Amino acid sequence: MSIASVSVLTLALYVAGALMVLMMVSGTVLANVENRINVSVYFKPDVSEEQIIKIKSDLESYGEVKSTQYISKEQALADFKKNNANEPVILQSLDEIGGNPLLASLVVRANDPNQYQNITEYIANASFKDDVSRVNYVKNKEIIDRLNSIIGQARKVGLALALISAAVAVLIIFNTIRITIYIHKPEIEVMRLVGASNMFIRLPFLFEGIIYGVLSSLFATILLLITMKFINPYISNTVLSRSLMAFYFSQMFFILGIQLLVGIFLGIFSSWIAMRKYLKI
Amino acid sequence: MKKVEEIENENEVVEEAAGEEEKFPMFKFDHVTKAFKGDAAALSDIDFEIQEGEFVTLIGHSGAGKSTLLKLIYAEETATEGEVYFNGAPLSKIKKRKLPFHRRKIGMVFQDFKLLPKKTAYENVAYALEACGARADEIREDVPQILDIVGLGDKMGKFPHQLSGGEQQKVVLARALIHKPQVIVADEPTGNLDPGNSAEIIDLLLKINKLGTTVILASHDRDIVDRASKRVIVLEKGKIICDDAKSKYRVC
Repeated sequence: MSIASVSVLTLALYVAGALMVLMMVSGTVLANVENRINVSVYFKPDVSEEQIIKIKSDLESYGEVKSTQYISKEQALADFKKNNANEPVILQSLDEIGGNPLLASLVVRANDPNQYQNITEYIANASFKDDVSRVNYVKNKEIIDRLNSIIGQARKVGLALALISAAVAVLIIFNTIRITIYIHKPEIEVMRLVGASNMFIRLPFLFEGIIYGVLSSLFATILLLITMKFINPYISNTVLSRSLMAFYFSQMFFILGIQLLVGIFLGIFSSWIAMRKYLKI
Repeated sequence: MKKVEEIENENEVVEEAAGEEEKFPMFKFDHVTKAFKGDAAALSDIDFEIQEGEFVTLIGHSGAGKSTLLKLIYAEETATEGEVYFNGAPLSKIKKRKLPFHRRKIGMVFQDFKLLPKKTAYENVAYALEACGARADEIREDVPQILDIVGLGDKMGKFPHQLSGGEQQKVVLARALIHKPQVIVADEPTGNLDPGNSAEIIDLLLKINKLGTTVILASHDRDIVDRASKRVIVLEKGKIICDDAKSKYRVC
């Protein structure tokens, strides 16, 4: 019975802990991706540098814009060569074309990712719209929206799972303590008859609930650690810009603290209702 | 048979004490009726008093209401009608939180001992002190002393199953006495014992009473009651049909 109590509570706390990690990781990942989003405005080849600088200051005066960065044709070419340094075919074909086929551009970043829509509309209707060759934006937004909805779904499923397992854990602990009370009936009777204070009689059962909470949160943390270790290679430095393990370790005690609090609370809560129902004082 | 005069003397002493100032009887049953759900009344219109220092024997067949009456005394049950007063305070008004303190003033002895089988005689008695938060040095001092008084000084380390019924009941008595209670309530303490052991237990109760503790003893056994030879209250079908205190002589 106590094994069942601890394992179900462990499951509940494990899911809750995983949920917390997911929320933290997704927060940083989203911030990361959002930082990388920008609108690249490419200008037609005949637009002069002075014109672009003017447009740049015009854009910067637009409230939603956080920053703009000018990338000249030469800079664009240099970047392109650098990025494709390992692709001799591409470099060769570039040489064959001769001259610089790339366009000058402005990289525009917004304060809030939701404002890119407004910014692109602004650019499309601006006085300089005829100078613009194309605006590159749409792709990133789709990725972010998908990421957001996946995280939202995972959050919902995780929360439901955590709540259901917590409810089951409360029921099982309640039942375990009910049985413990039943087993210790003679002892409780003696305690009452010698005038033991009510707290003295209740304390062992409260303690049992607390122990279930503590053990379960420790087990849940160990399980989380194993899980993190397992998925670490798939997430670190790709989805997350740093090591997942390092990230988890930095938050482990915070998460464990919350798990302890929740676990102990659930343990005490379950044993308290069991005592109210079955322990005659 | 104890002398009739002795009983009279005791009653006189009690009356004198009551006359001094406003002194409450230790227990006062004020027209108490106790009914359990769906049953006929277990006790009806019980009206009597027990004075401090008295030795009262309750006699009646099983089911006459003896145990119910004792349960009212240690506040395990509360009266359906009427009220039980302890030193002037109504027992039905005791808060749950205060109930343990009431029980510490009462030492209880039962037919089935209610000893913890996995604890030694010493531990069983010490447990009663531990449960009330006594200090360790107090426990070390008091427990052997009390076991000596009941004559088990040399069997402190024995477990209940290693003791005879009479010895087990002595452990229970020691446990009941450890709080220095004002009253010992014994519900059929000799029910599981042979006559020799029974006599010993009754003698112990008499000794305890002589030292000043009130004793309330319930039994269905006439011999036990005769051996005690104290005030007798006869219960039948939940009613008191005879009480020595109501008469100048022992009539029950």
